[in-house]
This record gives sequence, C-alpha cells and structure tokens, in this order.
Amino acid sequence: MPKSKDVLLEIRDLQIQGYSDEQWVDIIKGVDLTLHRGEVLGLIGESGAGKSTIGAAAMGYARDGTRISGGSIEFDGMELTTASESDRRALRGSRIAYVAQSAAASFNPAHKLIDQHTEAPVQYRLKKRMEAQEDAIELYRRLRLPNPEEIGFRYPHQVSGGQLQRAMTAMAMSCRPDLIIFDEPTTALDVTTQIEVLAAIRDIVDQFNTAAIYITHDLAVVAQMADTIKVLLKGEEVEEAPTKEMLDNPKEDYTKSLWAVRSLKREQKVRPKDTTPLISVRNVDAAYSSGAKVLDDVSFDVYEGMTVAVVGESGSGKSTTARVITGLLPPMKGDVLFKGEPFPPDYRNRTKDQLRQCQMIYQMADTALNPKVQISEIIGRPAQFYHGLKGAALKSRVDELLDLIELEPSKYYNRYPPELSGGQKQRIGIARALAADPTFIICDEVTSALDQLVAEGILRLLNRLQKELNLAYMFITHDLATVRAIADEVVVMQHGKVVEQGPKTDMFTPPHHPYTDLLLSSVPEMDPDWLTTLLEERGVDNVGEAASSNIKPGDAKVQGTQL
Amino acid sequence: MSIFVIGYYTLLLAASCLAAYFNKRTWFLLVFSLTLVSFILGIVGGASMLRGVAIAAGMLALSAMVAYAFREFLIAIASNDMAKELRTAPLTAAFGMFVIFTYAIAGIFAPWIAPFGEAEVISTAFAAPDGDMLLGADQLGRDMFSRIIYGARNTVALALAGTVMAFLLGALAGLLAATTGGWFDQVLGRTSDVIMSIPSLIFALLMLSIFGGALANSTTSFWLMFGFAMVTGLLVVVAKAENNVLSWLVGLAILVGVSAAFSLGMLTIFNPSEVILILVVGVIYSPRVFRLTRAVAGNVVVMDYIEAAKLRGEGKWYLIRREILPNSTAPLIAEFGLEFCFVFLLVAGLSFLGLGIQPPTADWGSMVRENATLISFGDITPLIPAAAIALLTVAVNFVVDWMLHRSSGLKD
Repeated sequence: MPKSKDVLLEIRDLQIQGYSDEQWVDIIKGVDLTLHRGEVLGLIGESGAGKSTIGAAAMGYARDGTRISGGSIEFDGMELTTASESDRRALRGSRIAYVAQSAAASFNPAHKLIDQHTEAPVQYRLKKRMEAQEDAIELYRRLRLPNPEEIGFRYPHQVSGGQLQRAMTAMAMSCRPDLIIFDEPTTALDVTTQIEVLAAIRDIVDQFNTAAIYITHDLAVVAQMADTIKVLLKGEEVEEAPTKEMLDNPKEDYTKSLWAVRSLKREQKVRPKDTTPLISVRNVDAAYSSGAKVLDDVSFDVYEGMTVAVVGESGSGKSTTARVITGLLPPMKGDVLFKGEPFPPDYRNRTKDQLRQCQMIYQMADTALNPKVQISEIIGRPAQFYHGLKGAALKSRVDELLDLIELEPSKYYNRYPPELSGGQKQRIGIARALAADPTFIICDEVTSALDQLVAEGILRLLNRLQKELNLAYMFITHDLATVRAIADEVVVMQHGKVVEQGPKTDMFTPPHHPYTDLLLSSVPEMDPDWLTTLLEERGVDNVGEAASSNIKPGDAKVQGTQL
Repeated sequence: MSIFVIGYYTLLLAASCLAAYFNKRTWFLLVFSLTLVSFILGIVGGASMLRGVAIAAGMLALSAMVAYAFREFLIAIASNDMAKELRTAPLTAAFGMFVIFTYAIAGIFAPWIAPFGEAEVISTAFAAPDGDMLLGADQLGRDMFSRIIYGARNTVALALAGTVMAFLLGALAGLLAATTGGWFDQVLGRTSDVIMSIPSLIFALLMLSIFGGALANSTTSFWLMFGFAMVTGLLVVVAKAENNVLSWLVGLAILVGVSAAFSLGMLTIFNPSEVILILVVGVIYSPRVFRLTRAVAGNVVVMDYIEAAKLRGEGKWYLIRREILPNSTAPLIAEFGLEFCFVFLLVAGLSFLGLGIQPPTADWGSMVRENATLISFGDITPLIPAAAIALLTVAVNFVVDWMLHRSSGLKD
C-alpha cells in the first residue's frame, strides 16, 4: 500500500510532570516520536509506562494534575505546546480524534449514538446534520455493524460492547481526521469480539489513509495493527522498530522479557482414580431474582490438587457459577457437593469449617481489599477468625503468609492497600485466601487486570502454592494463554451452558466444539499476519458475535462433544 | 492631611512597589487593590472612613496571621500523619480551628474566666460598658461578658450533646440498614421519612410543649432518655447478637444497665428541661444522619471486600465496625460539623422563642431576645451574642468545608 511520507506528528524530547504528594514528579522523561501520514504506531508498555499520557499529549492535552513541562509537539506544522487553548480545541475532534478504552463509559448514555456521532461535523460546520447522518450510516456499514441504517438511532446501553467500540471508531472518523489515537480500544473486550473491532479498525484506517497511534499492553494485538512499534518503560523509550523486526529480533532485554512472557508451562495432572471429587457441581440452574436463567444445567467436578479452568466470554455464566459454589447465589435447582457431602446452598447456613474450605480471589484487587485496613489485619483476620490465633502466634502466622507470597513481612506488615502496586495487592488477596487454610480456591479473573509480567508472577506463585499446599483451583478466565499455562482440565461455557469439558490436552487438539474452536482461533498470535490469515480463512463475517450466533445446535461437531 | 493619611498611603504604596519589584503577583494585586479602594473611599468619606478601612484591613491581616501561626503550631505539635493532613488546611480552616479552640477554652474554664456569676445582678439595667463590665450590663443588670462566657458553655454543650445523640442513633441505624437490607431497611427508611416530613421547628415546638419547659421533671426526663438510649442500644444488640436466645438475653440485660447509667449520667450534667431539649434535637436530626450514612454505607457494602468478609462468616457488627465504618468516616465527620451548626441554630432559635434553655441560665439565643429592645436605641449589646453564634457557625463551616473538600477527593 502506498503511503505518502510527509511527517504528520513530530514529538521531540517530550517531558510531562504529574502532581503527587505536593510535588511535581516526572512521568514522561524525554520521549521522541515521529509519525507519518497513514502510518500506524503501536505504543506498548506496562501500566504506568506513560502510554496514555503520550497519547493525550499528541492532542496537546495534559490531563488534570499533569503538565507538559518541556519538549515540543508539532502537528502538521503547528506547535501544540505554545498554541492557544482555542486553537488546540479546534484540532480535537476534527483533525485529531480519540477512541477511549471503554466505549461504554465514554458515550453519553442520554443521547443516541448518531447524535453523538454527528456532533463534531455539525459543530465544526463541515457537514449539514442530514449529510452527517448519511455519512455516519455509511461508516457504520464500512465497519460492518449489523443494521447500519438503524443502529445509530439506539442508545448506548442498547448496543453490545464490541459494537459500541466500533461505533466509537466510526465517530472518531466522522470528520475524517488526519490522526486517531486509540487508547486500548479492545482491552475491555472478549477475544471473540476483539477480532471484529481489530478488523474494523484496521480496514478503516487503511481506507482513509489515516495515521494512528495505537496504545495497548497486548503485544499480539499491536503486532496486527501497527507498522512500527515503540516500547515504553517508566516514561522512557526502550526501543522503536518496524513491527516485523521488533517481533523477530528485539534488541533490549526489557523487550525480550515482554516477548518471553507466554512461556510459562506446567505439567498437566490427571484425575486421581477412585476418589470423590473435592467439589462437584451437579446440574445447577441459577438465576438472579426471577430473571432469565443465567446457568442452565451446569455440571463439572474439581479434584483435589488440580486446576480447572472455566473459560467463556463475558456473560457466559462463569462468575455466576463461582457465586453458586460460594453460596452467594443459592441455585434454583441442583446442588454443590464437597467431598461427596452436599454444601448448604446459602453461605449463611454453612458452618465455619465449610466456609473455610472454599476461598475466593477476586479480579479487582483494588475493590477486594479494604483500603482503610492494614495488611496485617487483612491477612491476620481469617487466621484469627477460623483458627483463633492471637498475639505472637497470629503475628508469626501473618509473617509466614507474607513469606509465602514473596513479600517481605517487615516491610509490608503495617502498610495499607493503596500503598501497594497492583501485583502486590493481588498477592495480598491470595494471602488472605491462604490464611484460612482452604482446600479449594476460586480465582475469578485474577490476572486480567494486571500487566503481563506481573500476571506471570502471580500465575507462578499460584502454581507453587498448589504444589506446596495441594490446593484445588477453579480458575475463571477468558484468556486462553493463561489456560494453556496452568490448567489441568478445561470447562468451556457459553450462554450459561457447559459446551465442552475435558482434560486440557484434549481441549487444545481438534475436533472442537464450534464455540471452542471460535474461542481458540480468536486468540491473537504474535505473527503480524495472523489477523489477515484468519480473516481470509473464516471470512470477515464469520468472526466474533456473528460467528457465535451462527453455531447451530444440530451441528455434527456439537453432537460429538456434548457430554 | 493628617499624618495618619500620609503614613497609610506611603505604607501601602511602598508595599505594592516592593511586591511588584519582587514579582509577587498575588501580593501585588492584593495590596494595590487595597490602595485603590482606600483611595476612593478616602475621597468619598474622608479621613474617618479611611481609618475604618485601615482597621478592617488590619483585622483581616491579623486573623490571617493568627490562623497561619495557629496552623504552624498545630503542625509542630502533631504527629507525622496528622501534620501531613494539617498542611493541606487552608487559612480559613485554620482560622476556624482557632475560633473553635477559643470557644472550647471559654466554655471549659468559664467559672475562672468570667469575672461575675451568670445570674449575678451587679449593676443597673442596660448599664454602659466600663472598667468592670467589658460589654456593659443586660436588662437585669447582669454582666454581659460573663454571660457570654457562660453561654459558650451552656449553648455549645447542649448543641454538641444533641448532635452526638442524633449521630449515635442515625449513624447506627443507617449502617445497620445498609448491611441488613430488606424489610428492616424499609421500616427504618419509612420511619425517617415520616419524621422528616414534619417541619423541624414545628415538630420541636410540639414536642417541647408536650414534655418540655415547665412540665419537665427528672422522672419524665429520665424515662425519655432511657427510651432513647434503649432504641439506640437495641440497634447495637441487633447487629451484635448471634442467632441464639442466650446472646439476645445477655445483650438486652447489658443494654438495660448501660441505658439506665447513661440516663442518670445525663441528668447529673444537664437539668431535666435541657435533657428534653437534647432528645428533641436527637430525634429531629437523626433521620438526616440516617439517610447520609445509609447512602455512604450503601456504596461500601457492594465492594468485594465486604463480600469476602461475609463469605468468611463475619457477623454484622464486625462488618460495620471494621469494614464499613473506616470507609465512611470522612463524610460522616463533615456531616457532623454541618449538623452541629444547624442544631446550634435550632437551639438558639428555640431559646429566642422562649422554649429552649430556661432562665436564668445564660444562653446566647435568649440573650438576643432579652436585649432585643436595646437595638432601637442604637446599642450593639444584643448583637454581641448574635455575633458569637455567627462566628462559631462560620468557624465550624470553615473547618467542615476543608474536610468535605478532602473527603470528596478533589485536588485543586
């Protein structure tokens, strides 16, 4: 594809400071960036690396509590750091557009999609309202949204997450900008919907020869989208290279470590013979307060010392299953057995010992730890509550637990959760679960809010603990790479039903249930041509939601895998 | 031109020039606008007006200095964590804290500070201020200054007790309603709606004319106080008791004892009519506290760490005390300050109407009423207790504003 080579955006020695603890701290320490017309630049790095800050700075915008303290940002011959606020505002929306991470939170829920879409062109007097609406419908069609004529007249809550993200991309395109900044546009989406959005974004950027900055922490995703990749670490550039070169031949150690993340492997265990399963879910139906059934005839077993991964897209009933097992949501039908004995359906009727056996680790460590309670009490409370430990015995138990999760006891004993990093918080969450001496732990998307390197550390820790303490895990996730790394058995769920289950090796070798197949094929790979190949193989209309609704119950493969 | 006028302008101009020279923009703007204002007012009102402006500016500068010094003093004596918090306090908040501190000293050490007793007649009615009586005498010839000092003790103590009552009942009920939910929440919520639907002053007048004033005696006061304490304590027992009869019985037995002791204690500190007043305030203001607490706690209850604690099998009392309360203290403290002002004004208003604190006890509200006639003679005496009320209200609000700002997480 021919690309004109004039420079569109040039950032030189950009420095940005943030205000914290009553002083200005450097967030971005001198980053250079050059973007040509029609080029897509991928920015990757862990959270806190300053990706989004640079993205915002490319629009001449400094978020609240930050300031651009040095360097220059030149957009198409215009210096943004010295331009007046009204000049910069005139650029935003018309010549530079922004696509946010969570489209659901970024659309105004009180207005129809198309009204929000046409706002910018009408505001900038580029188009009349009716023209803008026709153009919007055209863009919806190009982005392959279902019912392009009609979808714009819905409110944001009436549209699914993946469609909303595409509608937001369409909105960014409404003024045909020269530059679009995509700030983690697919991070909040399931793998299956992610593909649709990726394909749509790539097409539209190609069609209009728009330059883009694509911010993400997912290497496989950026490999599909970007022409060049820039790796950031703590506000400084690590390296920059064309995508192919970067993937094949990373130079810096940090980049290599990012590449190596998905190497975690673990021996797969087999079910022990002639033993009763530790936890056994039997034909469970469940619903939230007289609504539609969320779980429909769900059954699976978890054996002692084994990891069962429950996968499926959001809304497939994974977390509801966990709520049924813990007793937060008593099932309508069916029951949960613990070592062959039925668990009371409501957690309030369970004995202390039953509660102790089954612990939970949450997805968001931020909300799972009380911010106003010291670490020593967060971890110590279960030990005190279940085992009656006091004084020195309690302190030594807390120290032991902190050692177990690889945090230095003396340093963390008196801290509060907000003073910890995301990974450390998740470790504290694990320690709290361990403090009860459980045999079974439910891990609800424990790594999905974490950076890859940190997530790998957590997975290694969980693996080690399982080996040492003979724990059984039920691992809820939508990330198949995680499943590959740690699971012994896999349960695939869709629309509240178990569509397939079995040992991991069987699940990752064909023949699959079509839904499993869809899930597996939707996981991005490091190969930059993966998306292109996949779209050619499956056809553009057979990915994501469209594909999952295409699965017919009478399909031969469905029959073959049904239990 | 007097020396004062020349000196005044010279000082101001020198200050603005210095500020401009050293590039102190805000200081320059401040001082020079003062110069301009003095200039205009000086032309209009002459030297006397200028003197007024100078005194006002001086007062303002003095209060700012006091506030600044007081804040630095607090930072110096406070622990590290406290000091870090205090550094974020604006000068207004520091000034507010200083005023509250002064009032507290005046109230606590009233008998030692006041030169005369609060009911002591020492002079003729409405005597002018002199060396003995700083602020003159009131309508019966009692020393105004001594009565202001004693008033700090009576009025503030009463308002404080009332607010604490309202908070104990309202906050406990709110926390419990948020954690329990269901019909319990509904019953408490609708009850508070009913109380709030009656205009508070009318409600207070109604209850005071049934129980209060001359009708108040120690027996009624004791039993009413006892009832209030029982209701509040019952909420604690509900939260704390486990699901067996024994723990309920033990809880209730302890509750009766504690309530009785508490009521007796209250009656030794306050006289019967004041106890009634405190109860009225508690009943009227607790629904507001209830609503706020329930809303704040409602946001906390849905967090994962509460779910984790519930799954651990923790009781309600632990949830409330260790998990929810630490996360809702900031808005509750801010609300406490605000409600205290409202209660203070209600008590003062009731006293003004003759239903609050009974004579001869010194009370700012009734002092305004008793000396009101003097205002038609151009005397400022009745305004002094009113100013005392206003100053405390403003001071508390200064501090509360700061706390609200902090608890809302707003950074400038």
